[in-house]
Amino acid sequence: MGEEQQRPRRRRGQGQLEAMVLSALREADGPATAGWVQRRLGGDLAYTTVVTILTRLLAKGAVTRERAGRSFAWTPAADQAGLAARKMRKVLDAQSDREAVLASFVTGLGPDDERLLRELLRQAEDEGED
Amino acid sequence: MGVFVFLPLVLPLTAWPVARLAEQHLHPRTATRLLTAVTAVMAVCSTVCLALLMVVGTAQLPGNPLPDGWSDPEVREAVPYDEVAGRAAIPALVLVLAACARTLWRHGRVRRRAHRALAGVRGKRVAVLPDDVPYAYALPGGRRQDRVVVTTALLEHLEPAERRALFAHERAHLAARHHRLLLVAQLAARANPFLRPLRTAVAYTAERWADEDAAQTIGSRRTVASAIGKAALVSRGTPIPTLAGLAAVGPVPRRVAALLAPAPTARRWPPVFTSVGLAAWGAAAGAAVSAMSSANSAVTMVLILRAATPL
Repeated sequence: MGEEQQRPRRRRGQGQLEAMVLSALREADGPATAGWVQRRLGGDLAYTTVVTILTRLLAKGAVTRERAGRSFAWTPAADQAGLAARKMRKVLDAQSDREAVLASFVTGLGPDDERLLRELLRQAEDEGED
Repeated sequence: MGVFVFLPLVLPLTAWPVARLAEQHLHPRTATRLLTAVTAVMAVCSTVCLALLMVVGTAQLPGNPLPDGWSDPEVREAVPYDEVAGRAAIPALVLVLAACARTLWRHGRVRRRAHRALAGVRGKRVAVLPDDVPYAYALPGGRRQDRVVVTTALLEHLEPAERRALFAHERAHLAARHHRLLLVAQLAARANPFLRPLRTAVAYTAERWADEDAAQTIGSRRTVASAIGKAALVSRGTPIPTLAGLAAVGPVPRRVAALLAPAPTARRWPPVFTSVGLAAWGAAAGAAVSAMSSANSAVTMVLILRAATPL
């Protein structure tokens, strides 16, 4: 009886730990190491515990990791798209003639193009209504 | 061989009016393939021609590593002995090779980095990025999966039908492997600066090709036109660098106008005695002449050098 009561309590404990680690990770500005998360949580948890929890979160798909030197840098999965957007902007900004590499949907507009384009679109709308 | 060895260097000039006619009158698919092929042939010929000039020029230099027989009087007689052109060809060829290598390297690097940036993003074929800069492009996969990258800022400005047009356009790029054609045209423009207008023409006709494919997929030319127009107007923060006074109509309004006009016919090869036919046949003839004069020069050169090499 006593054992059966303890088990759910331990599980809840794990869930709380996971939530703590995840929220600490969300406060990071970009990917963070397990050591950073441990310091962020005030050092209550052992380093190995933090790594174990992060690994469990990884299995659940709540975080992702990438290799950074000898250890891993961890990122909350929800923030993955935002992080990718920032990385992609860096790639695109570094490439001055990116049109040559990536076929983008539209190229820039010349001085008279905007006026011409608005005229064309208005014409198209008028014809569509006829 | 005489002055014929110089022909492939300047023949790309004949392709300028041809490119203009082809992009206006041929079906975009035909125009893209024709112009890419012409551009590639002309670039290869022009580079072969440079290499020949270099061999001749190098053989005249004292202390060169080439066999001594290559600068015999008989060889000098057979080969147009032009020291200045020969010596100028050496740095020119080095520049061409370096520029092409750099282009290839950058192409690979941008693709690798873009894929790495998208590594954790969900969505196998489409990656939607939360960003307030509106843009969209097709990212060819290589070893990984092809992906369409689009930002939330651009999607917000488009109606559902226009979004479908956008995705159909980008998928058309990926399905027809347009990035390869664009890369060929870009390498060619590095090999011979006279081929730059052809690269611009290929980039334009490839966009038109994807526009036409998208129009067919979603069944409305007008929707594709308005998607392009709206996308261009919301992302107009980055104007193309042109001289204000000389500004011709840019590619985007021309694409929109073409989509509002009737669909182009998919006839593959037009008759000769029309302006379109003249353009197509002119391009083919220019490329053939360029290739033949290069091949003629190369074969003559190899024969002469073989005769002059002591075995």
